[in-house]
Amino acid sequence: MNELLPISPINASVLIALLPFLAFLIQAVLGKTQTSGNISLVAIILSTTLSLFWVFPAVWNHDQQTLKLVWFVIGEYDLNVGVLLNNLTVLMQLIVCIIALPVHIYSKAYMKADPGLHRYWMFLSLFCFAMLSLTISINLFQSYIFWELVGFASYLLIGYWFTKDSAVQANKKAFLVNRIGDIGFLIGIALIYSHVGTLDLTMLFGPSGVFNPSSLEHGQSLVIDTDASWRTWAGICFFLGAMAKSAQFPLHIWLPDAMEGPTSVSSLIHAATMVAAGVFLLCTIFPLFNATVLLLIAIIGTLTAISGAIFALGQQDIKKILAFSTISQLGFMMVGVGIGAWDSAMFHLGTHAFFKCLLFLCAGAVIHEMAHLKKHRNLEFDPQNLRNMGGLRKYMPKTFLCMSIASLALAGFPLTAGYLSKDSIVVGAFEWGAYHGGWHMIIPITLIIVSILTAFYIGRLIWKAFFGNFRFADLLNTDHTMREAPVLMLAPMIFLALCCFAPAFSLQPLDYHASWLMQGLHVQTAYPAIPSAHLYIPVILSIGAIVSWFIGWKWYTQREYPFSTGNKLVQLANNQFYLNEFNEVIFVNSIKRLSGFLYFVDRKVVDGLTYLFTNLIQSIARAVNWLDKNVIDGLVNMVANSTYYLGHLVRHVQNGQLQGYLGFALTVLILGFLYLIIK
Amino acid sequence: MITLTHFLLVSACIFCIGMYAVLAKRNAIMILVGIELMINAAILNFVAFSKYDKTNYGGQIFALFAIVLAAAAVAVGLAIILNVYRHFNTINPKNMHELKD
Repeated sequence: MNELLPISPINASVLIALLPFLAFLIQAVLGKTQTSGNISLVAIILSTTLSLFWVFPAVWNHDQQTLKLVWFVIGEYDLNVGVLLNNLTVLMQLIVCIIALPVHIYSKAYMKADPGLHRYWMFLSLFCFAMLSLTISINLFQSYIFWELVGFASYLLIGYWFTKDSAVQANKKAFLVNRIGDIGFLIGIALIYSHVGTLDLTMLFGPSGVFNPSSLEHGQSLVIDTDASWRTWAGICFFLGAMAKSAQFPLHIWLPDAMEGPTSVSSLIHAATMVAAGVFLLCTIFPLFNATVLLLIAIIGTLTAISGAIFALGQQDIKKILAFSTISQLGFMMVGVGIGAWDSAMFHLGTHAFFKCLLFLCAGAVIHEMAHLKKHRNLEFDPQNLRNMGGLRKYMPKTFLCMSIASLALAGFPLTAGYLSKDSIVVGAFEWGAYHGGWHMIIPITLIIVSILTAFYIGRLIWKAFFGNFRFADLLNTDHTMREAPVLMLAPMIFLALCCFAPAFSLQPLDYHASWLMQGLHVQTAYPAIPSAHLYIPVILSIGAIVSWFIGWKWYTQREYPFSTGNKLVQLANNQFYLNEFNEVIFVNSIKRLSGFLYFVDRKVVDGLTYLFTNLIQSIARAVNWLDKNVIDGLVNMVANSTYYLGHLVRHVQNGQLQGYLGFALTVLILGFLYLIIK
Repeated sequence: MITLTHFLLVSACIFCIGMYAVLAKRNAIMILVGIELMINAAILNFVAFSKYDKTNYGGQIFALFAIVLAAAAVAVGLAIILNVYRHFNTINPKNMHELKD
């Protein structure tokens, strides 16, 4: 391919990231006239082509390539920005492109005739730009910038229907929860910078980086002590960032609410762009983590996996089930990182991207048809509620087929991609647990249970939506019926369905070690492999899945549901263990009370002091005013008044009357005589 | 026996009457009359005291001189009053206060 267009992988990867940004800019300038989305579509097609044919083959399993440019200099430190291309980054960039392309095509049909469409394409391009740039950042600070941009773009897209109050609440929640994680990320960056003095990923985590254990052998002068407490803290901080982005328990609460965005956006967020960022970050900075942090990651991951699966069991909203399943699968990836097998985590991220994107696109197709029916018949029902569906496989057979394939992959059924990646994590966790012994075994056992629960809840979704009887079947007639999705929506779904099969990742469909992805990212783990686990764990998982499907089929299609509608446990799962309410009571209310108290302090104490001071000054001023008026002015006035009075006394003499003058002169003359006489 | 003292008393009385007329009358003619009375009182004194100058009769001569002057002064005074009347349409001194600043 390089003969066709001589372009270096570095430039190509920059171009991949910049093309969607260009599309974003063009659409921002063109404004409302640009609703077709062709610009975004062309940009993402070009990006995908570049990524697939120019960048990926040139870098995968070759030496890493870097490009560094000085952005600015502070003192002796110059901050570099640039591009880092190695197996991990080009893989991630490729996954993002390949997921974003079907979503773009699908959106053309799915979002048709939406009034705010020009915004949709604009935000979508921005979202892709931010994520594609995040993948190839060479500098932690640069990553942080794009990390924030990803969060911002997702905020815009979740709140895309901003006239809906729930959407506004949801994007606010997503943004706020992500802020908690971003603070962790920022503190982590600060810790690394203050202790190591650089944020360059190659210098920190590269083959001869300060955090790489192999650099000891290379005689690196600056090697960081593994057990240094700041290193633990930095690891925890970065993990906090990843927890919020990748929706780990208990910061997962934003993800189910984010379902308020368009379904195509949900599929992008869940598959490749948003939640994958956290896992990708942890894989990038993996050498930083010491044993304590890794154990914490594994525990949180397990907690997330089990809680997500349990919550998914009780949901009625088709998108909410998928949201919790994402949370649960992200938990698996975290466990993969936590046990040190981050190649497995990336592998699962890759396979999960395809089948989760497909699940969402299929759900979108179903919701699309349900919403059409609702609009056409003027009915009042929730088009996303599973209870209103049923028997849809008769109306939408291709969608059903795609969704079934994706569900099989999610459940980790043999021959699918999900089977390979999920087994790689579960088997890895088992080997890890067996190596450490004791209570560490809880983690792999939990993961096995979660895998079976996963099979059950996704089976429940399929049984309830596609089997049984359609609730509104009698309303359908020849002029309006539930139709298959249009070809623009179907084509991306079929493409993704093909990618859900094992051959896309491994020519040997039963052994995950043979996958090209695992071989490319290969990580040497500390614990020994247990060959027998490779046999019986997949068998347990497959049998468990089949049994759970059978139970689900019995319960949901044969109407032998064992629980009453008000069952406490089902309610508990449906309400996510009242976690949102817990947060409401503990965090939101206490913060509200605190701010109320601070408001009181501000009003009464701070303002009170000000008022006191004001009043004091005012009274002093009043006293001075009185003194000025009465004493100082009084003296002056007294002089003036007495002079006036004196003048007033004698003014009658000079009255212009001749006789008066004469009389006065006579008086004075007589007085003079009298004086002379008396003397 | 009429002595010098009687003359002087009469003269003083006439002077006082003239003085009163000048100070208190509300008519310029009467003031002029008061002035004449005061001049005449002084002339009377001249005449009375002339008994001590039997050789030259200086007092009596001076009295004659004064009477002529007084007549001229009255003429002037009446002319002024006439002009004042033309100017102010009154001869009441109360209404004339042009001397005031």
